[in-house]
This record gives sequence, C-alpha cells and structure tokens, in this order.
Amino acid sequence: MIHLKVTNLHKSFGGLHVLKGINLEVNGPELIGVLGPNGAGKTTLTNILDGAITPSSGTVYLNGQRIDQLQPYEVARAGLGRTFQVTRSFRRMTVLENLYVPALALGHVNQGRALRERAMEVLEFLTIDHLRNEYARALSGGQQKLLELGRLLMLDPDVIILDEPFAGVHPKLMEVIYAYIRRMKSEGKAIILISHQMDAIFALSERLIVLNFGEMIADGKPEDVKNDPDVIEAYLGRDEEEDA
Amino acid sequence: MRQVPNIAGIGLVLFFAAFPLVYTGGNYDYVMHVLITGFFYAILASSWSMLAGYAGQFSFGHMAFMGIGAYGAALFSHYFHLTSAPTGVCTEFPLFGNWLVIKNAIGVTSTTLTQDCLQQAIGQWGDSERVWRMPVLLGIVLGTIAGGLSGLLVGLLVLRLRAAYLALFTLGFSEIVKAVISAEIDVTRGQAGLELPALFENGVTVLGTEFSSTDKIPPYYSMFFLLLLCLLILTWLARSRFGLFVRALREDADAAAALGVNTTRYKVFVFTITTAMAAAAGAVQAHYVQIVTPNMLFLLQMSLVVAMAVIGGVENFVAAALGAIFLQVMLELLRTSFSIGGINVDMTTWRLVFFGLLLMVVLRFFRNGLIAPLIDWFTRAGIAEETIAKRRGVGAEEAQP
Repeated sequence: MIHLKVTNLHKSFGGLHVLKGINLEVNGPELIGVLGPNGAGKTTLTNILDGAITPSSGTVYLNGQRIDQLQPYEVARAGLGRTFQVTRSFRRMTVLENLYVPALALGHVNQGRALRERAMEVLEFLTIDHLRNEYARALSGGQQKLLELGRLLMLDPDVIILDEPFAGVHPKLMEVIYAYIRRMKSEGKAIILISHQMDAIFALSERLIVLNFGEMIADGKPEDVKNDPDVIEAYLGRDEEEDA
Repeated sequence: MRQVPNIAGIGLVLFFAAFPLVYTGGNYDYVMHVLITGFFYAILASSWSMLAGYAGQFSFGHMAFMGIGAYGAALFSHYFHLTSAPTGVCTEFPLFGNWLVIKNAIGVTSTTLTQDCLQQAIGQWGDSERVWRMPVLLGIVLGTIAGGLSGLLVGLLVLRLRAAYLALFTLGFSEIVKAVISAEIDVTRGQAGLELPALFENGVTVLGTEFSSTDKIPPYYSMFFLLLLCLLILTWLARSRFGLFVRALREDADAAAALGVNTTRYKVFVFTITTAMAAAAGAVQAHYVQIVTPNMLFLLQMSLVVAMAVIGGVENFVAAALGAIFLQVMLELLRTSFSIGGINVDMTTWRLVFFGLLLMVVLRFFRNGLIAPLIDWFTRAGIAEETIAKRRGVGAEEAQP
C-alpha cells in the first residue's frame, strides 16, 4: 500500500520563505492535481520530495521510510520518480539508452534481451518505437516529453510526480500522455500532476491541491476546489468593488 | 557496413603489432621512438576522452596524475633497494631473509658518495654483500596505484564542481603537484630530475631473440600492449552499465540521479580509473626515457593531450587514441624545414603554427573531431532510413480502414 506523508514542510532560501508548513498525505493509488500560480512553491515541493533539495524543517515519509534527507538516487530507489518542467532527456544518447538508464540503475533487469523487450514495449505504448535508435536530441519537444515518461515506466516507482507534462505538447501526443497517466493509475501508482493546463488537470485529477505563496490553500475534490473563494482569489485576484 | 570500424580496428592493431618487425626504412630507432611516444599520448588522450568526453568531467589535471605515476615509479626505484645485510646507516627493515633499505634524501649534491647512506654501506662492504634494485614492474604498479588513489581523492573533492570550476580546480591541482615536485629538491632532485633504470635493465629474450636495454622493440611492445589493455578496459566499461551511467552523468547529472543513478559513485569511479591509466602511462614512460623532471607536467603538455583528443574526437576514446598517434607522427613529419623561392621556412617552430591552425579548424567545423564522426557514420549507418521506413509503416497501418 503506497503511503506518502509530508508533515509541516518548510523551506527558506535566505530570507525568502518559499514553503510554509505544507502537510500532505497520499494513500494508495490516487491521482492528485497540484495547481498554483508561478512562485507558489510547486517546483520547490517537487524538488524536496525527490531529494534534490533538503527542507528547512518538516519530514517526508514514503512507505514508512523517511526520505527527506536522502540523495535523489536513493529517493528514486525508495519508489518516487519524477519528470522535469523543462524536459531533461539525455540528448546525446539514443532513445533506447535513455530507457536503459533507470532500469539498470535499479537493477530490475540485466543488460540483454529482457531489457530490450521491456524498453520496446514501453516505446510502443508511447508510440515512439520507430525512434528507438535515434539520438534523443533528434526528437521533437513532445516526443522528448514522452521519452521522459518512458523512463519513469522503466523506473517503475510507486509515486510519480509529473511536472508540466502537457507543456508545448501537440494535442495528438497529449492523448498518449492521458493514456499513460490512466495506465499508471490502473497499475496502482500514486500520481502527482503539476500543470497549468486547467482542462487537463480537471479532467484527470480525483483530488486537487492548490498552493499559493508557499501555503496550501485548498485540498479536496476538483469540483469543490474550483468554487473555493481562496482559489478563485489566488488565480483571478480579489474584486476591488467587493473589497470596497 | 556497421562492422567497418571493427574490421579497421583489427587491421590497425595488426599493423602496429607487425610494424617494428617489418619496417626496413631508415632511422629505425627514431621512428620507433616516435611511435612509442605516440602510444604514450594515446593512453593519455583516450583515458582523458573517457573522463571528459564520456563523463563530461573536464579535468585539466590529467598530466599531473601521469606525473604522479611517473614520480611514484621513479621515487620507488631511486629510494628503495634490497640488500643481503643491514647497512646500519639507512632506514631498513628485515624482509624474507634480506633487508628492505630506504635511502636517505640528499637532493642535488656533488658529494653523493659521502652523503648517500647506501653508497657508504656499499663502500664498506665491497663485494661481500649484495644489493638489488626493486623490480621495475612493481614500481609501475605502485605508480599506477598512487595515481589512481590521487584521482580518487580529487574525484571526491570535485563532486560538486562542474564545467569551468572543475577545470580550474584540476588546473590548480596540477600546478600544485608541479610546484611540490620542483620545491622538494631534497627528495625529488627538483629540475635536475630523477633517473630511473630502463624498462628492461638487463635486456630481455623473446622467442630466442635477445634484446639489450637500449633496443626499441621491448619498450615499443610494452607501451603498445599497455595502450591495448587500456583500450580494452575502456571498451568494456563503455559497453557496460558504467558507460551508460557516466554518459547520463555527462548529459544531465540531476536527471540521472532522479532515475536512480548514484552519480557520486560513478563520478569518483571514472576519475579513479582514468587517472590510474594516466599514471600507468607515466610510470612506463618514465622507465622508457629513464628520467623524470617537473617539465613533463607543463600546462603545454596537458594542452597537447586535449588537442589530440579533440582532433581525434573527444566523445570516442578510440578516435582520441588514433588522434594522438596521428598528431604525434604528424608533428614529427612537420619538423622537416624547406625553402620557398629562397625563403627558408624553419619548421621546428612553424610546425606548432600548423598544429594550432588544425586545432582551430577542427573546433570550428568538426565539433567531435576528425575520426569520431567517421566511426559514428559507419556504426550508425542505415538508422535514419530504418526510422523513416518504420514511421511510414506506422502511417500506412493507421491509414488502413
């Protein structure tokens, strides 16, 4: 049973208090959308969860193991994988080699036919199997997004954080990403989806979290969050006439 | 088509293996010396290619590790000896019925016989006791280990450094090593250098043929086989998960770590293994030229290794090795001065201008060198066509009702 628990998480950079006491609990396969204007703290939260930065205070537990002081590779091995807001494929490596990295790093499989078959299955699902021997730099932006998702399939983590997976992606490829997210959910993964694409996030999420200035201002079902006055204010601003 | 580089590689190995046996042109020793030096630089360029081209760790301290290997071997052979009896004046330890003697450091002096403790003891013994030098191979192994351990230490120190900061750190390290060697005259004899025994001090007999300590064939094959050994190790590493991970490290260390790669381990490992190779090359070269001086650590030497790797192709260690041999031979060929219309062109100085021009042209027009793209062209032959054909196939399937 997947259990991610974030307790009273704070992060400051110098005098800038970026996260202010975030509490979050994920139980089992959930699809959680994270919304927030720029500077809300979404990426900082993601970076703390994956071990890239350590919190100023607070704890993160994954399946009973404390992970907030671990190195990123240890967090990945503990069962948390992520994609990046700006795609970070290994550009001078082939598509297949990109997929081999996480599988071999975790020792799920050894080099050989089994590894290749698994990678090919992932590429076929993502509809980029014809590019398997191309360098990642030859792929379009959308295809590189798919490649990043493919690496996560090879990593096979319990919790997946998708940071802006739809940014700059062609509608046809977005359908593939939708299918990917649903497949991950059906396989029992917990997915944290960060996106500015409201349509996508409301269509997919079962639970929605909204961050604003480092605080969690809403956590609930999408239809409830949508009508939350704090959320409306964070996104649309306060009506001056109403204030008066 | 994709097998062409492998076939060419086997051909080149056979060519260099047979060359000393079939070469009948003039200046035999000189030609062999040029190739031995070429192999030496090939080890440095290919190991640096693994460090910089594969792992993206742009270290400018590679020659310092070579120097540590060379000085490690030199210090070992200079200071350590075995004797059949205690000297009573040197630092010494009993060892399997004999004595391990460590000579005192006397620096550069004209009164060696009176200051050198071992020489004093030999003077008293006459022929009654025996003195042995330490085995050359043991010195080479110890020099290699010293270089590798230094690489491990530097690898640990530069874990958080990238790009220009890493380059500057390693450059500083290199200068410190050179300065220490120059300053510690008592131990290293400073600019006077340390002399070493030849690789095969008492000659060697191979398949019934005797070679003296000054023959070029034994050091030729020693350096050639060391190069082959290094290339084999690098090939094995490049094709293993190690090669995959260090390339991922080069591309994006954060992304690699997020996918479960222990980037720290691989960064330190690649430093250790490549610096050990540089040190091994340095130790063998030191015994070949029979003297080590701090000049071998000049920044210009490091620039030469970088240029060789860049001209061959920094992202392919075989190309980097070939680039080193090619450049070493070319630089020697360009020594021949000539006249144009009564104007004498002194190539002993102008050859470096040609070398610089070649480097500039390669950097401007051939970002991955001259040889690596050729290898890439053959090994990736047909991949673009395969991709297009597969895409058309997918399109045709989708178009079907």
